[in-house]
Amino acid sequence: MEVEQEKPSLENVQARQQEKQREGEVVIVEEEEEQQQQVEEGEENANVLQFMDSMDAYLTLIHSLSSTIRQGWLELASARHSMGASRVNTVLLDHKFHPAATTLLVTQDEGKVDSMKQHFTLCKWASSGNEKCSLGEAKSGQDKLHPQLRHRASSQLYEEKTSSEYKASHEVDDQVQKERSKSLSVFGTLVSPKLRAAQLSFETALETLVEIANTRSAVLCAFDKVNKKLGGSKG
Amino acid sequence: MYGFEAMTFNIHGGYLEAIVRGHRAGLLTAADYNNLCQCETLDDIKMHLSATEYGPYLQNEPSPLHTTTIVEKCTLKLVDEYKHMLCQATEPLSTFLEYITYGHMIDNVVLIVTGTLHERDVQELLEKCHPLGMFDSIATLAVAQNMRELYRLVLVDTPLAPYFSECITSEDLDDMNIEIMRNTLYKAYLEDFYKFCQKLGGATAEIMSDLLAFEADRRAVNITINSIGTELTRDDRRKLYSNFGLLYPYGHEELAVCEDIDQVVRAVMEKYPPYQSIFSKLSYGESQMLDKAFYEEEVKRLCLAFEQQFHYGVFFAYMRLREQEIRNLMWISECVAQNQKSRVHDSVVFIF
Repeated sequence: MEVEQEKPSLENVQARQQEKQREGEVVIVEEEEEQQQQVEEGEENANVLQFMDSMDAYLTLIHSLSSTIRQGWLELASARHSMGASRVNTVLLDHKFHPAATTLLVTQDEGKVDSMKQHFTLCKWASSGNEKCSLGEAKSGQDKLHPQLRHRASSQLYEEKTSSEYKASHEVDDQVQKERSKSLSVFGTLVSPKLRAAQLSFETALETLVEIANTRSAVLCAFDKVNKKLGGSKG
Repeated sequence: MYGFEAMTFNIHGGYLEAIVRGHRAGLLTAADYNNLCQCETLDDIKMHLSATEYGPYLQNEPSPLHTTTIVEKCTLKLVDEYKHMLCQATEPLSTFLEYITYGHMIDNVVLIVTGTLHERDVQELLEKCHPLGMFDSIATLAVAQNMRELYRLVLVDTPLAPYFSECITSEDLDDMNIEIMRNTLYKAYLEDFYKFCQKLGGATAEIMSDLLAFEADRRAVNITINSIGTELTRDDRRKLYSNFGLLYPYGHEELAVCEDIDQVVRAVMEKYPPYQSIFSKLSYGESQMLDKAFYEEEVKRLCLAFEQQFHYGVFFAYMRLREQEIRNLMWISECVAQNQKSRVHDSVVFIF
Protein backbone atom coordinates (compact mmCIF):
# COMPACT_ATOMS: atom_id res chain seq x y z
CA MET A 1 0.00 0.00 0.00
CA GLU A 2 2.79 2.31 1.00
CA VAL A 3 4.67 1.43 -2.21
CA GLU A 4 1.57 2.06 -4.28
CA GLN A 5 1.19 5.38 -2.45
CA GLU A 6 4.84 6.26 -3.13
CA LYS A 7 4.55 5.59 -6.89
CA PRO A 8 1.93 8.31 -7.55
CA SER A 9 3.88 10.77 -5.38
CA LEU A 10 7.05 10.10 -7.40
CA GLU A 11 5.16 10.56 -10.60
CA ASN A 12 3.61 13.65 -9.16
CA VAL A 13 6.97 14.95 -8.14
CA GLN A 14 8.36 14.23 -11.56
CA ALA A 15 5.36 15.86 -13.16
CA ARG A 16 5.68 18.79 -10.85
CA GLN A 17 9.39 19.00 -11.60
CA GLN A 18 8.71 18.89 -15.31
CA GLU A 19 6.04 21.53 -14.89
CA LYS A 20 8.36 23.69 -12.88
CA GLN A 21 11.04 23.17 -15.50
CA ARG A 22 8.62 24.22 -18.19
CA GLU A 23 7.54 27.18 -16.12
CA GLY A 24 11.17 28.07 -15.57
CA GLU A 25 11.84 27.84 -19.29
CA VAL A 26 8.84 30.01 -19.98
CA VAL A 27 10.04 32.50 -17.41
CA ILE A 28 13.50 32.46 -18.96
CA VAL A 29 12.00 32.90 -22.41
CA GLU A 30 9.79 35.68 -21.13
CA GLU A 31 12.74 37.33 -19.50
CA GLU A 32 14.73 36.96 -22.68
CA GLU A 33 11.87 38.41 -24.69
CA GLU A 34 11.61 41.30 -22.25
CA GLN A 35 15.31 41.96 -22.50
CA GLN A 36 15.16 41.84 -26.27
CA GLN A 37 12.23 44.22 -26.24
CA GLN A 38 14.16 46.59 -24.02
CA VAL A 39 17.14 46.36 -26.34
CA GLU A 40 14.94 47.03 -29.34
CA GLU A 41 13.31 49.99 -27.60
CA GLY A 42 16.75 51.26 -26.73
CA GLU A 43 17.81 50.91 -30.35
CA GLU A 44 14.68 52.71 -31.51
CA ASN A 45 15.32 55.54 -29.08
CA ALA A 46 18.93 55.68 -30.19
CA ASN A 47 17.83 55.84 -33.86
CA VAL A 48 15.34 58.57 -33.13
CA LEU A 49 17.96 60.50 -31.15
CA GLN A 50 20.46 60.03 -33.95
CA PHE A 51 17.90 61.30 -36.46
CA MET A 52 17.11 64.37 -34.35
CA ASP A 53 20.81 65.08 -33.75
CA SER A 54 21.70 64.84 -37.42
CA MET A 55 18.69 66.99 -38.35
CA ASP A 56 19.81 69.63 -35.84
CA ALA A 57 23.33 69.54 -37.27
CA TYR A 58 21.90 69.83 -40.80
CA LEU A 59 19.83 72.90 -39.95
CA THR A 60 22.77 74.54 -38.15
CA LEU A 61 25.00 73.95 -41.18
CA ILE A 62 22.36 75.40 -43.55
CA HIS A 63 22.19 78.55 -41.43
CA SER A 64 25.99 78.78 -41.31
CA LEU A 65 26.23 78.36 -45.11
CA SER A 66 23.70 81.12 -45.69
CA SER A 67 25.60 83.61 -43.52
CA THR A 68 29.00 82.64 -45.01
CA ILE A 69 27.76 83.12 -48.57
CA ARG A 70 26.15 86.47 -47.70
CA GLN A 71 29.43 87.59 -46.16
CA GLY A 72 31.35 86.43 -49.25
CA TRP A 73 29.12 88.35 -51.66
CA LEU A 74 29.38 91.52 -49.59
CA GLU A 75 33.17 91.20 -49.42
CA LEU A 76 33.24 90.76 -53.20
CA ALA A 77 31.17 93.93 -53.61
CA SER A 78 33.52 95.68 -51.19
CA ALA A 79 36.54 94.55 -53.23
CA ARG A 80 34.87 95.82 -56.41
CA HIS A 81 34.19 99.14 -54.67
CA SER A 82 37.83 99.36 -53.56
CA MET A 83 39.63 98.13 -56.71
CA GLY A 84 37.22 99.47 -59.32
CA ALA A 85 34.71 97.80 -61.63
CA SER A 86 37.30 97.29 -64.39
CA ARG A 87 39.50 95.16 -62.12
CA VAL A 88 36.81 92.96 -60.54
CA ASN A 89 34.74 91.92 -63.51
CA THR A 90 33.31 88.75 -65.04
CA VAL A 91 35.06 89.48 -68.36
CA LEU A 92 38.41 88.80 -66.67
CA LEU A 93 37.56 85.19 -65.81
CA ASP A 94 39.82 82.74 -67.61
CA HIS A 95 38.26 80.83 -70.52
CA LYS A 96 41.44 78.84 -71.18
CA PHE A 97 41.36 75.16 -70.32
CA HIS A 98 42.81 74.49 -66.89
CA PRO A 99 42.43 71.66 -64.37
CA ALA A 100 39.91 72.08 -61.57
CA ALA A 101 41.36 73.64 -58.44
CA THR A 102 39.04 71.58 -56.24
CA THR A 103 37.46 68.15 -56.70
CA LEU A 104 34.84 66.13 -54.84
CA LEU A 105 35.35 62.46 -54.00
CA VAL A 106 32.17 60.39 -53.51
CA THR A 107 32.48 57.01 -51.79
CA GLN A 108 30.04 54.44 -50.44
CA ASP A 109 30.01 53.83 -46.69
CA GLU A 110 32.72 51.28 -45.82
CA GLY A 111 31.77 47.85 -44.52
CA LYS A 112 28.13 48.10 -45.59
CA VAL A 113 27.73 46.74 -49.05
CA ASP A 114 23.98 47.21 -49.15
CA SER A 115 24.06 50.66 -47.59
CA MET A 116 23.09 53.62 -49.76
CA LYS A 117 24.93 56.03 -47.48
CA GLN A 118 27.44 58.04 -49.44
CA HIS A 119 30.39 59.96 -48.08
CA PHE A 120 31.68 63.15 -49.70
CA THR A 121 35.27 64.35 -49.36
CA LEU A 122 36.48 67.70 -50.67
CA CYS A 123 39.96 67.79 -52.22
CA LYS A 124 41.00 71.46 -52.32
CA TRP A 125 43.76 72.83 -54.54
CA ALA A 126 43.99 69.50 -56.31
CA SER A 127 45.37 71.04 -59.53
CA SER A 128 48.81 71.44 -57.95
CA GLY A 129 48.85 67.75 -57.05
CA ASN A 130 49.22 68.88 -53.44
CA GLU A 131 45.68 67.97 -52.45
CA LYS A 132 44.25 69.44 -49.29
CA CYS A 133 42.21 66.28 -48.60
CA SER A 134 45.45 64.31 -48.43
CA LEU A 135 46.68 67.02 -46.06
CA GLY A 136 43.60 66.30 -43.95
CA GLU A 137 44.50 62.59 -43.86
CA ALA A 138 48.08 63.41 -42.98
CA LYS A 139 46.94 65.70 -40.18
CA SER A 140 44.54 63.08 -38.78
CA GLY A 141 47.40 60.59 -39.04
CA GLN A 142 49.57 62.96 -37.08
CA ASP A 143 46.83 63.35 -34.49
CA LYS A 144 46.73 59.55 -34.12
CA LEU A 145 50.50 59.53 -33.67
CA HIS A 146 50.47 62.09 -30.87
CA PRO A 147 48.74 59.98 -28.19
CA GLN A 148 51.33 57.27 -28.82
CA LEU A 149 54.16 59.76 -28.76
CA ARG A 150 53.05 61.11 -25.41
CA HIS A 151 53.60 57.66 -23.96
CA ARG A 152 57.10 57.40 -25.35
CA ALA A 153 59.99 57.83 -23.08
CA SER A 154 62.20 60.01 -25.29
CA SER A 155 61.13 63.67 -25.23
CA GLN A 156 63.84 64.57 -27.73
CA LEU A 157 62.35 62.20 -30.29
CA TYR A 158 58.98 63.82 -29.62
CA GLU A 159 60.43 67.30 -30.20
CA GLU A 160 62.12 66.23 -33.43
CA LYS A 161 58.89 64.68 -34.69
CA THR A 162 56.81 67.78 -33.82
CA SER A 163 59.27 70.17 -35.47
CA SER A 164 59.36 68.08 -38.66
CA GLU A 165 55.55 67.84 -38.63
CA TYR A 166 55.33 71.60 -38.11
CA LYS A 167 57.73 72.18 -41.00
CA ALA A 168 55.75 69.85 -43.26
CA SER A 169 52.42 71.51 -42.41
CA HIS A 170 54.02 74.95 -42.84
CA GLU A 171 55.25 73.98 -46.32
CA VAL A 172 51.80 72.70 -47.24
CA ASP A 173 50.21 75.94 -45.94
CA ASP A 174 52.61 77.95 -48.13
CA GLN A 175 51.66 75.82 -51.11
CA VAL A 176 47.96 76.34 -50.42
CA GLN A 177 48.53 80.08 -50.10
CA LYS A 178 50.29 80.07 -53.50
CA GLU A 179 47.38 78.19 -55.05
CA ARG A 180 44.95 80.72 -53.61
CA SER A 181 46.97 83.60 -55.08
CA LYS A 182 47.12 81.78 -58.42
CA SER A 183 43.31 81.51 -58.49
CA LEU A 184 42.96 85.21 -57.73
CA SER A 185 45.52 86.21 -60.36
CA VAL A 186 42.72 86.52 -62.98
CA PHE A 187 41.95 89.84 -61.25
CA GLY A 188 45.63 90.85 -61.15
CA THR A 189 48.49 89.92 -58.85
CA LEU A 190 48.16 92.94 -56.53
CA VAL A 191 44.61 92.52 -55.26
CA SER A 192 42.93 94.08 -52.27
CA PRO A 193 42.78 92.13 -48.96
CA LYS A 194 39.00 92.36 -49.33
CA LEU A 195 39.12 90.15 -52.41
CA ARG A 196 41.25 87.62 -50.54
CA ALA A 197 38.73 87.68 -47.69
CA ALA A 198 35.92 87.03 -50.20
CA GLN A 199 37.88 84.05 -51.57
CA LEU A 200 38.26 82.61 -48.06
CA SER A 201 34.54 83.05 -47.38
CA PHE A 202 33.58 81.15 -50.53
CA GLU A 203 36.15 78.47 -49.72
CA THR A 204 34.56 78.05 -46.27
CA ALA A 205 31.12 77.93 -47.93
CA LEU A 206 32.31 75.10 -50.19
CA GLU A 207 33.55 73.11 -47.17
CA THR A 208 30.23 73.72 -45.42
CA LEU A 209 28.36 72.49 -48.51
CA VAL A 210 30.25 69.19 -48.39
CA GLU A 211 29.55 68.87 -44.66
CA ILE A 212 25.86 69.49 -45.43
CA ALA A 213 25.91 66.72 -48.05
CA ASN A 214 27.45 64.29 -45.52
CA THR A 215 25.03 65.35 -42.79
CA ARG A 216 22.07 64.98 -45.17
CA SER A 217 23.26 61.49 -46.01
CA ALA A 218 23.35 60.73 -42.26
CA VAL A 219 19.86 62.24 -41.80
CA LEU A 220 18.39 60.10 -44.57
CA CYS A 221 20.12 56.99 -43.22
CA ALA A 222 18.80 57.62 -39.68
CA PHE A 223 15.33 58.35 -41.07
CA ASP A 224 15.36 55.03 -42.96
CA LYS A 225 16.25 53.17 -39.76
CA VAL A 226 13.47 54.88 -37.79
CA ASN A 227 11.00 54.20 -40.59
CA LYS A 228 11.93 50.53 -40.75
CA LYS A 229 11.43 50.12 -37.01
CA LEU A 230 8.06 51.86 -37.15
CA GLY A 231 7.01 49.72 -40.10
CA GLY A 232 8.19 46.58 -38.33
CA SER A 233 6.34 47.38 -35.10
CA LYS A 234 3.08 48.15 -37.00
CA GLY A 235 3.35 44.88 -38.94
CA MET B 1 52.02 135.08 -62.12
CA TYR B 2 50.49 133.68 -58.94
CA GLY B 3 47.83 135.97 -57.51
CA PHE B 4 47.04 137.66 -60.83
CA GLU B 5 44.92 134.91 -62.36
CA ALA B 6 41.82 137.02 -61.70
CA MET B 7 42.93 139.36 -64.45
CA THR B 8 43.10 136.85 -67.28
CA PHE B 9 41.55 133.52 -66.27
CA ASN B 10 37.96 134.38 -67.21
CA ILE B 11 38.90 135.18 -70.80
CA HIS B 12 39.24 131.51 -71.69
CA GLY B 13 38.26 129.63 -68.54
CA GLY B 14 35.50 131.69 -66.98
CA TYR B 15 32.57 130.05 -68.75
CA LEU B 16 33.75 126.53 -68.03
CA GLU B 17 34.57 127.32 -64.39
CA ALA B 18 30.99 128.58 -64.00
CA ILE B 19 29.70 125.41 -65.69
CA VAL B 20 31.70 123.13 -63.40
CA ARG B 21 30.61 125.03 -60.28
CA GLY B 22 27.02 124.60 -61.43
CA HIS B 23 27.61 120.87 -61.87
CA ARG B 24 29.15 120.76 -58.39
CA ALA B 25 25.91 122.17 -56.96
CA GLY B 26 24.11 119.18 -58.47
CA LEU B 27 26.00 116.61 -56.39
CA LEU B 28 23.80 114.47 -54.12
CA THR B 29 23.16 115.93 -50.66
CA ALA B 30 22.93 114.33 -47.22
CA ALA B 31 19.12 114.21 -47.56
CA ASP B 32 19.46 112.33 -50.87
CA TYR B 33 21.80 109.78 -49.28
CA ASN B 34 19.43 109.34 -46.30
CA ASN B 35 16.57 108.55 -48.68
CA LEU B 36 18.71 106.20 -50.75
CA CYS B 37 19.98 104.31 -47.70
CA GLN B 38 16.39 103.57 -46.70
CA CYS B 39 15.39 102.04 -50.03
CA GLU B 40 14.20 98.46 -50.01
CA THR B 41 14.74 97.63 -53.70
CA LEU B 42 16.72 98.90 -56.69
CA ASP B 43 13.48 100.25 -58.18
CA ASP B 44 13.13 102.44 -55.08
CA ILE B 45 16.65 103.74 -55.72
CA LYS B 46 15.70 104.49 -59.32
CA MET B 47 12.62 106.33 -58.08
CA HIS B 48 14.66 108.48 -55.70
CA LEU B 49 17.30 109.21 -58.32
CA SER B 50 14.62 110.29 -60.80
CA ALA B 51 14.28 113.49 -58.74
CA THR B 52 18.02 114.21 -59.14
CA GLU B 53 20.16 115.02 -62.19
CA TYR B 54 20.47 111.27 -62.85
CA GLY B 55 16.72 111.07 -63.56
CA PRO B 56 16.82 111.40 -67.37
CA TYR B 57 19.52 108.69 -67.59
CA LEU B 58 17.61 106.10 -65.57
CA GLN B 59 14.00 106.78 -66.47
CA ASN B 60 13.92 104.47 -69.51
CA GLU B 61 15.62 101.52 -67.84
CA PRO B 62 13.26 98.57 -67.49
CA SER B 63 12.79 96.57 -64.31
CA PRO B 64 14.30 94.50 -62.86
CA LEU B 65 17.27 96.80 -62.49
CA HIS B 66 20.79 95.61 -61.87
CA THR B 67 23.53 97.36 -59.89
CA THR B 68 25.80 97.58 -62.93
CA THR B 69 23.02 99.29 -64.93
CA ILE B 70 22.69 102.04 -62.32
CA VAL B 71 26.47 102.57 -62.33
CA GLU B 72 26.65 102.60 -66.16
CA LYS B 73 23.89 105.19 -66.54
CA CYS B 74 25.30 107.44 -63.83
CA THR B 75 28.72 107.21 -65.50
CA LEU B 76 27.13 108.22 -68.83
CA LYS B 77 25.99 111.45 -67.21
CA LEU B 78 29.57 112.20 -66.09
CA VAL B 79 30.88 111.40 -69.57
CA ASP B 80 28.35 113.75 -71.21
CA GLU B 81 29.33 116.59 -68.87
CA TYR B 82 33.02 115.94 -69.47
CA LYS B 83 32.64 115.90 -73.25
CA HIS B 84 30.71 119.15 -73.16
CA MET B 85 33.49 120.81 -71.16
CA LEU B 86 36.22 119.33 -73.36
CA CYS B 87 34.70 120.54 -76.59
CA GLN B 88 34.36 124.05 -75.16
CA ALA B 89 37.87 124.17 -73.70
CA THR B 90 40.92 125.86 -75.21
CA GLU B 91 44.57 125.20 -74.48
CA PRO B 92 45.93 124.56 -71.90
CA LEU B 93 42.62 123.61 -70.24
CA SER B 94 41.82 121.06 -72.96
CA THR B 95 45.13 119.26 -72.31
CA PHE B 96 44.45 119.42 -68.57
CA LEU B 97 41.01 117.85 -69.10
CA GLU B 98 42.54 115.11 -71.26
CA TYR B 99 45.08 114.33 -68.55
CA ILE B 100 42.20 113.57 -66.18
CA THR B 101 41.14 110.64 -68.40
CA TYR B 102 44.54 108.98 -68.90
CA GLY B 103 44.04 106.91 -65.72
CA HIS B 104 40.91 105.37 -67.25
CA MET B 105 42.78 104.81 -70.49
CA ILE B 106 45.42 102.79 -68.64
CA ASP B 107 42.71 100.74 -66.92
CA ASN B 108 41.06 100.03 -70.28
CA VAL B 109 44.36 98.95 -71.87
CA VAL B 110 45.02 96.55 -69.01
CA LEU B 111 41.44 95.23 -69.15
CA ILE B 112 41.71 94.43 -72.88
CA VAL B 113 45.17 92.87 -72.57
CA THR B 114 44.20 90.76 -69.54
CA GLY B 115 40.91 89.68 -71.09
CA THR B 116 42.69 88.69 -74.33
CA LEU B 117 45.20 86.68 -72.32
CA HIS B 118 42.24 84.84 -70.81
CA GLU B 119 40.78 84.17 -74.28
CA ARG B 120 37.79 86.46 -73.91
CA ASP B 121 35.92 88.01 -76.82
CA VAL B 122 37.13 91.51 -77.72
CA GLN B 123 33.61 92.91 -78.14
CA GLU B 124 32.71 91.71 -74.67
CA LEU B 125 35.81 93.45 -73.29
CA LEU B 126 35.10 96.69 -75.13
CA GLU B 127 31.61 96.84 -73.60
CA LYS B 128 33.17 96.79 -70.12
CA CYS B 129 35.72 99.54 -70.79
CA HIS B 130 35.28 102.89 -69.06
CA PRO B 131 33.87 105.38 -71.61
CA LEU B 132 36.24 108.14 -70.47
CA GLY B 133 39.24 105.99 -71.38
CA MET B 134 38.27 105.01 -74.93
CA PHE B 135 40.47 105.77 -77.92
CA ASP B 136 40.27 104.86 -81.61
CA SER B 137 42.60 101.90 -81.92
CA ILE B 138 41.71 100.27 -78.59
CA ALA B 139 40.31 97.11 -80.22
CA THR B 140 43.69 96.43 -81.86
CA LEU B 141 45.19 95.78 -78.43
CA ALA B 142 43.94 92.20 -78.63
CA VAL B 143 46.53 91.42 -81.33
CA ALA B 144 49.66 92.15 -79.25
CA GLN B 145 51.63 89.27 -77.67
CA ASN B 146 54.17 91.28 -75.68
CA MET B 147 54.72 94.85 -74.54
CA ARG B 148 56.94 95.75 -77.46
CA GLU B 149 54.15 94.81 -79.90
CA LEU B 150 51.61 96.55 -77.68
CA TYR B 151 53.59 99.76 -78.00
CA ARG B 152 54.52 99.41 -81.69
CA LEU B 153 51.07 98.39 -82.99
CA VAL B 154 48.73 100.47 -80.87
CA LEU B 155 49.99 102.68 -78.12
CA VAL B 156 52.61 104.64 -80.05
CA ASP B 157 49.81 106.85 -81.43
CA THR B 158 48.07 107.37 -78.12
CA PRO B 159 48.78 109.78 -75.26
CA LEU B 160 50.12 106.81 -73.24
CA ALA B 161 53.11 106.36 -75.58
CA PRO B 162 55.58 108.43 -73.48
CA TYR B 163 54.76 106.31 -70.42
CA PHE B 164 55.84 103.08 -72.03
CA SER B 165 59.57 103.77 -72.13
CA GLU B 166 60.06 102.29 -68.65
CA CYS B 167 58.23 99.05 -69.25
CA ILE B 168 58.99 97.95 -72.79
CA THR B 169 60.25 94.39 -72.82
CA SER B 170 59.97 91.49 -75.22
CA GLU B 171 58.69 89.21 -72.50
CA ASP B 172 55.34 87.63 -73.18
CA LEU B 173 52.48 89.19 -71.32
CA ASP B 174 51.43 87.30 -68.18
CA ASP B 175 49.54 88.25 -65.02
CA MET B 176 52.58 89.56 -63.12
CA ASN B 177 53.99 91.50 -66.08
CA ILE B 178 50.58 93.06 -66.73
CA GLU B 179 50.28 94.14 -63.11
CA ILE B 180 53.74 95.70 -63.17
CA MET B 181 52.89 97.35 -66.49
CA ARG B 182 49.69 98.82 -65.03
CA ASN B 183 51.41 100.30 -62.01
CA THR B 184 54.45 101.51 -63.99
CA LEU B 185 52.20 103.28 -66.50
CA TYR B 186 50.16 104.87 -63.74
CA LYS B 187 53.32 106.02 -61.98
CA ALA B 188 54.62 107.63 -65.19
CA TYR B 189 51.21 109.24 -65.83
CA LEU B 190 51.01 110.76 -62.35
CA GLU B 191 54.53 112.14 -62.58
CA ASP B 192 53.80 113.62 -66.03
CA PHE B 193 50.54 115.17 -64.85
CA TYR B 194 52.36 116.61 -61.84
CA LYS B 195 55.03 118.20 -64.07
CA PHE B 196 52.35 119.60 -66.39
CA CYS B 197 50.56 121.24 -63.46
CA GLN B 198 53.84 122.65 -62.15
CA LYS B 199 54.42 124.18 -65.59
CA LEU B 200 50.97 125.80 -65.51
CA GLY B 201 51.96 127.47 -62.25
CA GLY B 202 49.82 129.68 -60.04
CA ALA B 203 46.87 128.38 -58.03
CA THR B 204 46.53 125.39 -60.39
CA ALA B 205 50.06 124.21 -59.53
CA GLU B 206 49.54 124.72 -55.81
CA ILE B 207 46.19 122.95 -55.57
CA MET B 208 46.92 120.17 -58.03
CA SER B 209 50.31 119.44 -56.40
CA ASP B 210 48.54 118.74 -53.13
CA LEU B 211 45.87 116.56 -54.76
CA LEU B 212 48.30 114.59 -56.92
CA ALA B 213 50.74 114.12 -54.02
CA PHE B 214 47.92 112.64 -51.96
CA GLU B 215 47.03 110.35 -54.87
CA ALA B 216 50.66 109.22 -55.17
CA ASP B 217 50.89 108.53 -51.43
CA ARG B 218 47.62 106.61 -51.41
CA ARG B 219 48.78 104.48 -54.32
CA ALA B 220 52.04 103.75 -52.51
CA VAL B 221 50.16 102.53 -49.43
CA ASN B 222 47.74 100.44 -51.51
CA ILE B 223 50.54 98.86 -53.53
CA THR B 224 52.32 98.00 -50.27
CA ILE B 225 49.24 96.45 -48.67
CA ASN B 226 48.22 94.53 -51.80
CA SER B 227 51.72 93.16 -52.37
CA ILE B 228 52.19 91.74 -48.86
CA GLY B 229 52.40 87.97 -49.16
CA THR B 230 52.84 88.00 -52.97
CA GLU B 231 55.84 87.23 -55.17
CA LEU B 232 56.57 90.92 -55.79
CA THR B 233 60.07 91.62 -54.50
CA ARG B 234 60.96 94.65 -52.40
CA ASP B 235 62.92 96.21 -55.24
CA ASP B 236 60.03 95.77 -57.68
CA ARG B 237 57.69 97.22 -55.10
CA ARG B 238 59.89 100.27 -54.60
CA LYS B 239 60.01 100.84 -58.37
CA LEU B 240 56.22 101.18 -58.49
CA TYR B 241 56.13 104.13 -56.06
CA SER B 242 55.93 107.61 -57.66
CA ASN B 243 58.86 110.00 -57.32
CA PHE B 244 56.91 112.69 -55.55
CA GLY B 245 54.51 113.04 -52.66
CA LEU B 246 54.83 113.44 -48.92
CA LEU B 247 56.12 109.90 -48.46
CA TYR B 248 58.89 110.36 -51.06
CA PRO B 249 61.66 109.29 -50.46
CA TYR B 250 61.99 108.16 -46.83
CA GLY B 251 58.45 106.90 -46.39
CA HIS B 252 58.84 104.83 -49.54
CA GLU B 253 62.02 103.24 -48.16
CA GLU B 254 60.13 102.10 -45.07
CA LEU B 255 57.03 101.01 -47.00
CA ALA B 256 59.15 98.92 -49.36
CA VAL B 257 60.22 96.63 -46.50
CA CYS B 258 56.80 96.36 -44.83
CA GLU B 259 55.51 92.81 -44.32
CA ASP B 260 52.53 93.44 -42.06
CA ILE B 261 49.58 95.75 -42.51
CA ASP B 262 48.64 96.73 -39.01
CA GLN B 263 51.96 97.16 -37.28
CA VAL B 264 54.43 98.36 -39.87
CA VAL B 265 52.29 100.32 -42.35
CA ARG B 266 50.66 102.14 -39.47
CA ALA B 267 54.09 102.86 -37.95
CA VAL B 268 55.26 104.38 -41.27
CA MET B 269 52.17 106.49 -41.88
CA GLU B 270 51.83 107.82 -38.34
CA LYS B 271 55.19 109.62 -38.72
CA TYR B 272 53.55 112.00 -41.18
CA PRO B 273 51.17 114.48 -39.46
CA PRO B 274 48.74 114.92 -42.40
CA TYR B 275 48.12 111.14 -42.37
CA GLN B 276 47.92 110.75 -38.60
CA SER B 277 44.28 111.83 -38.74
CA ILE B 278 43.54 108.97 -41.15
CA PHE B 279 45.06 106.32 -38.91
CA SER B 280 43.69 107.80 -35.70
CA LYS B 281 40.20 106.86 -36.96
CA LEU B 282 41.20 103.23 -37.27
CA SER B 283 41.69 100.95 -34.33
CA TYR B 284 43.99 97.94 -34.42
CA GLY B 285 42.81 95.34 -36.89
CA GLU B 286 40.55 97.74 -38.80
CA SER B 287 42.68 97.80 -41.91
CA GLN B 288 39.59 97.07 -43.96
CA MET B 289 38.31 100.59 -43.20
CA LEU B 290 41.50 102.13 -44.56
CA ASP B 291 39.97 102.61 -48.01
CA LYS B 292 37.08 104.59 -46.57
CA ALA B 293 39.45 106.70 -44.47
CA PHE B 294 41.48 107.57 -47.57
CA TYR B 295 38.37 108.39 -49.58
CA GLU B 296 37.12 110.69 -46.81
CA GLU B 297 40.45 112.54 -46.72
CA GLU B 298 40.43 112.82 -50.52
CA VAL B 299 36.88 114.21 -50.55
CA LYS B 300 37.85 116.78 -47.92
CA ARG B 301 40.76 117.99 -50.07
CA LEU B 302 38.67 117.98 -53.26
CA CYS B 303 35.95 120.10 -51.63
CA LEU B 304 38.59 122.58 -50.46
CA ALA B 305 39.66 123.05 -54.11
CA PHE B 306 36.34 124.86 -54.73
CA GLU B 307 37.16 127.46 -52.08
CA GLN B 308 39.55 129.18 -54.48
CA GLN B 309 38.79 130.63 -57.91
CA PHE B 310 40.61 130.95 -61.24
CA HIS B 311 42.38 127.64 -61.37
CA TYR B 312 41.94 124.29 -63.16
CA GLY B 313 41.86 122.24 -59.96
CA VAL B 314 38.06 122.64 -59.81
CA PHE B 315 37.70 120.50 -62.96
CA PHE B 316 39.84 117.70 -61.53
CA ALA B 317 38.03 117.99 -58.18
CA TYR B 318 34.59 117.84 -59.79
CA MET B 319 35.44 114.74 -61.85
CA ARG B 320 36.79 112.98 -58.78
CA LEU B 321 33.82 113.96 -56.62
CA ARG B 322 31.41 112.59 -59.24
CA GLU B 323 33.38 109.36 -59.39
CA GLN B 324 33.13 109.13 -55.60
CA GLU B 325 29.39 109.74 -55.84
CA ILE B 326 29.05 106.94 -58.39
CA ARG B 327 31.04 104.66 -56.04
CA ASN B 328 28.62 105.58 -53.25
CA LEU B 329 25.62 104.76 -55.46
CA MET B 330 27.25 101.46 -56.42
CA TRP B 331 27.78 100.51 -52.78
CA ILE B 332 24.27 101.53 -51.69
CA SER B 333 22.79 99.55 -54.61
CA GLU B 334 24.83 96.46 -53.71
CA CYS B 335 23.76 96.65 -50.05
CA VAL B 336 20.10 97.03 -51.03
CA ALA B 337 20.29 94.25 -53.64
CA GLN B 338 21.97 91.88 -51.14
CA ASN B 339 19.61 92.86 -48.31
CA GLN B 340 22.51 94.08 -46.19
CA LYS B 341 21.40 97.64 -45.47
CA SER B 342 23.08 97.57 -42.06
CA ARG B 343 26.45 97.64 -43.88
CA VAL B 344 25.64 100.67 -46.03
CA HIS B 345 27.66 103.07 -43.92
CA ASP B 346 30.80 100.90 -44.16
CA SER B 347 31.83 102.49 -47.44
CA VAL B 348 29.62 105.50 -48.22
CA VAL B 349 31.55 108.78 -48.11
CA PHE B 350 29.34 111.83 -47.83
CA ILE B 351 30.18 114.84 -49.98
CA PHE B 352 28.96 118.12 -48.55
